[in-house]
Amino acid sequence: MAIQQADKLLKKHKDLHCAKVLKAIGLQRTGKQDEAFALAQEVATLEPTDDNSLQALTILYREMHRPELVTKLYEAAVRKVPSSEEYHSHLFMAYARVGEYKKMQQAGMTLYKIVPKNPYYFWSVMSLVMQAISAQDKKLSQTMFLPLAERMVEKMVKEEKIEAEAEVQLYYMILERLGKYVEALEVVRGQLGEKLTSELQSRENKCMSLYKQLERWPECNALSCKLLLKNPDDWQFYMSYFDSLFHLIDQGWEPPSEGEHCSEGEVRSSVAQAIAFVEERLAVEEAKETRPLRGPFLARLELIRRLRARGCPEEQELGEPLELMFQYFIKFGDKPCCISDLKIYLDLLTTDHHFINRLMETVPLSEPQDDGVALPGDTRALQRHLCVAQLSRALGLHHALDTTGKLDLIRQLKSHYRHGLQFGKSCLKTELQFSDMYCLLASHVYIDLWAETGDETMLWQCLGLLEEGLSHSSSNAQFKLLLILLFCRMGAFEPVVDLYSSLDAKHVQHDTIGFLLTRYAESLGQFAAASQSCNFSLRFFHSNQKDTSEYIIQAYKYGAFEKIPEFIAFRSRLNRSLHFAQVRTERMLLDLFLEADLSSSLEDNVKSMGLCPEEDDIPWTDMRDNRDLTVLTSWDPADRQLSEEQRSFSLQEELLWLKVRFLTLRLVGTLAVLSHPPTPRNAEKAAENGVVAKPDILRPLLDQLNTTLQNGAQFLERGVQYPFLGPSPTRLAHALASGSCHCQVLAFQLAAYVQELDAAALGESRPRMTLCLSELPLLEILNKCKGDLLEVKEGQCKTQPTLLENLVFFVETVCVVHWVSCFCAGVLRPLKASLQKRKKKKKEPISATMVVFSGFQEFTAGLQSLFSEVLDHIKGQETSLTALKLGELTLEEEEAFVKLAMDKLRSSYLRSLQELGDLLKKRADVLKSLKI
Amino acid sequence: MLGSKMTTLRAFTCDDLFKFNNINLDPLTETYGIPFYLQYLAHWPEYFIVAEAPGGELMGYIMGKAEGSVAREEWHGHVTALSVAPEFRRLGLAAKLMELLEEISERKGGFFVDLFVRVSNQVAVNMYKQLGYSVYRTVIEYYSASNGEPDEDAYDMRKALSRDTEKKSIIPLPHPVRPEDIE
Repeated sequence: MAIQQADKLLKKHKDLHCAKVLKAIGLQRTGKQDEAFALAQEVATLEPTDDNSLQALTILYREMHRPELVTKLYEAAVRKVPSSEEYHSHLFMAYARVGEYKKMQQAGMTLYKIVPKNPYYFWSVMSLVMQAISAQDKKLSQTMFLPLAERMVEKMVKEEKIEAEAEVQLYYMILERLGKYVEALEVVRGQLGEKLTSELQSRENKCMSLYKQLERWPECNALSCKLLLKNPDDWQFYMSYFDSLFHLIDQGWEPPSEGEHCSEGEVRSSVAQAIAFVEERLAVEEAKETRPLRGPFLARLELIRRLRARGCPEEQELGEPLELMFQYFIKFGDKPCCISDLKIYLDLLTTDHHFINRLMETVPLSEPQDDGVALPGDTRALQRHLCVAQLSRALGLHHALDTTGKLDLIRQLKSHYRHGLQFGKSCLKTELQFSDMYCLLASHVYIDLWAETGDETMLWQCLGLLEEGLSHSSSNAQFKLLLILLFCRMGAFEPVVDLYSSLDAKHVQHDTIGFLLTRYAESLGQFAAASQSCNFSLRFFHSNQKDTSEYIIQAYKYGAFEKIPEFIAFRSRLNRSLHFAQVRTERMLLDLFLEADLSSSLEDNVKSMGLCPEEDDIPWTDMRDNRDLTVLTSWDPADRQLSEEQRSFSLQEELLWLKVRFLTLRLVGTLAVLSHPPTPRNAEKAAENGVVAKPDILRPLLDQLNTTLQNGAQFLERGVQYPFLGPSPTRLAHALASGSCHCQVLAFQLAAYVQELDAAALGESRPRMTLCLSELPLLEILNKCKGDLLEVKEGQCKTQPTLLENLVFFVETVCVVHWVSCFCAGVLRPLKASLQKRKKKKKEPISATMVVFSGFQEFTAGLQSLFSEVLDHIKGQETSLTALKLGELTLEEEEAFVKLAMDKLRSSYLRSLQELGDLLKKRADVLKSLKI
Repeated sequence: MLGSKMTTLRAFTCDDLFKFNNINLDPLTETYGIPFYLQYLAHWPEYFIVAEAPGGELMGYIMGKAEGSVAREEWHGHVTALSVAPEFRRLGLAAKLMELLEEISERKGGFFVDLFVRVSNQVAVNMYKQLGYSVYRTVIEYYSASNGEPDEDAYDMRKALSRDTEKKSIIPLPHPVRPEDIE
């Protein structure tokens, strides 16, 4: 429609530029990129200067992801209309979009000369700062760009032309980056600093940070105290006060005999003064009629910890930690945050049991009920009791219980959970139940029991309990997250789809928790869902580049200079995201598994996804792990929480596995590239003429894959374990154990051999192939898939999700073998023909090459029987799963919910089996007709 | 009870987007696209404040802006998003964050602060009332529902700042308005 309108206009006015561009936009949006581009260039080469054409072209180029063309456009426009403020300003923004900092600097100054407005001048200054930030040579930043920027600002200061807060902010940024903290301090504390008003406490915060940089501990000390007197609850200033205190003590600082302690006023530099300061704050709180602030009470514990770490006996003056934490609980135990406040200081306790017992005595509970559990009478009592339970767990008391003790604990927690539901009867669907966290605690104990005993019943009970919890509290994200984790670990991905979608995770959350979805979808054989999950994430990452650029420009416009490097770092953090590289790779592999050499040829697939096997475009050395690995709530003791070391191991493992997958993808891509273009070539002639064979890229990639697999095996030898609620292990261990990696490597080796055979053009001197296709160890993988996924034994439900994962590895490997054999067939076909021709001419002994040919026939025949075997296995599993009577189990009270979970699991297994079976059937059909 | 939030209050930065799941997995808290956050950070960075607990967890945040015509006495602070993680509720943190936004709006010479809230979100409506806000008007079907449920109305709630000495800005409108009628 838009295109027609534009055409109509163009009939009347043949040279109306703007109409042409609008038509081009129409073409672009209807997928005719090439036509659109040609039409746009037609206009662009005329170097238009009318605003409409320029703006329309800007929009078009942005949509084409060609922002660099916008700069050309406005460069031409300002050449023709050199006095236009507007076009110069557009040119500056066009440079900003592509990060041409040097040109931005010049464009800003040109603008300022045309129209002497401050913002233009400071755009230019900021562009110098950006040159400094982006410079590879940090010395150049410090000796050239930043000093130049500094001088430019100084000039304005001297001429008293500074107008806006943003300008002072930028000055501060420059001085800070130059390490000129003294000068920065003068600016902040001086007249210019008075402009820093938008942000609250902007001057104080900047001063504090500068005092720390300058190690001016007296000022840091005095300012912290001043701010604490104003707001005794601001935690960061307790930290800076205590930091400064111990620095001053270590330095042996003495106050001057007369006059002010320092420019910020009174310094409290002795332990006695610090203790007095904290106690004064406490006294104020204690005297209050209203509820006291938490800050001073926690500050006391913090001070004790710091004194204890230094071996200062004065810590005792502040009191006994157990007693103080007890009092804290009395005051704040009915707040849900009490646990997160106190858990930081639990290491100060020496007798855990005593502490918990004392707390418990203060919680008002009813007389024990029939089941021996005493219950709270209102939500405050409930919250207090819950806090004690959470603290017990954090102290490791739950873990210390034996199996009977744990089961009894679960019974009590469940009793509290169900009893507490009565308080939340009027809660809206969007609210949590008061007692939800009991349910989560009980689930954690179930998981402990399962981990200790391997008794799978515990996991079933846990699933049932969480399903029950979700039925009462449908927006509890923690229930959903844990259910997702449990279902995945038990091999069922189907229920995860709905659970995850009900979390309504969007945008940046795809990067932070998308791994919950993408880690298991494919490995559990739900390829369709896996594709979709990858797509969610990819859509987010792809929009990032364009999105962030626009806001970098906005930040210039609004003078939010400090945000510009922040936005650029943010963009880079997303571009370098581990998850991004993973979903990109897996998405391509999935496409190939599902389509390549089935609905379309491998070559077409590889071509359409724009995969270039020679190229490694993953930023391996600077990958960002944006996963939120603590998204699942955990009250485990500190030594069982996810450690920094485990985090880094997890990233290492993810990178190793990603490398395996990426190399596999590139190897498959290479097969496509090597057999393309499929022109029938005369191998003999090529050899005679000494034509160089296609460059061998298979071998180097194969070597890399082998090295990576070795590194992977070495990594696994370390036996790294992660907390259950932390990151899941990758597929690496199972992949190696299943034999699929080994088999795929052999297949690629074969491809490389055949390719070399082709290159040598039937050279009989080639070494005999040491392996035939028919010897690929596919059967070994298949044997590791045999067994029952789900069975009921002695009334207990047992799952073997590893069998499913191995089946997926089998299917993936079959795909690789399929492509390798197509590749081999493609190479061998012309070779065989020419060999037969030659044989007719003169009699030759049966060559090594013939062995390859006969081996190929054996191989395809062997594959067919393998296919029928695996399809029989799948059929058998489907039949027995369907026939399995899950209802007859002797389940106790939570029967209905556990049954629900079991049904979900079975349904999911069936779906996985069906997807895998369908794919195998398709591959079997195509392979049947493969001949050389 | 107000003020017992024991927190570090600081400017929200892009990196916080990677850490706010405990707050944003709440059903009433919307996770916006990146452009939305960046727009606020680029234009009104001082209005985007996050509260951090001593353990490093994010407790909650407020995101707002300044807008409206000064000449028509409509220049005001607007609360776009306010959310506190479940674990850190009932501490008065939301009130503290509102107080900060009001103070920034005062400094900018705003006449009032306003916000939109779901009519059904009684907890929030009551909290805002306690903080001195009153319903200025009802906006019909302001919140579009995704899952087949009917669209929901919003209250536009306001609180006058000191510049509006006669509290003209908060005199309730007699009739509800449509979303297209609001600026």
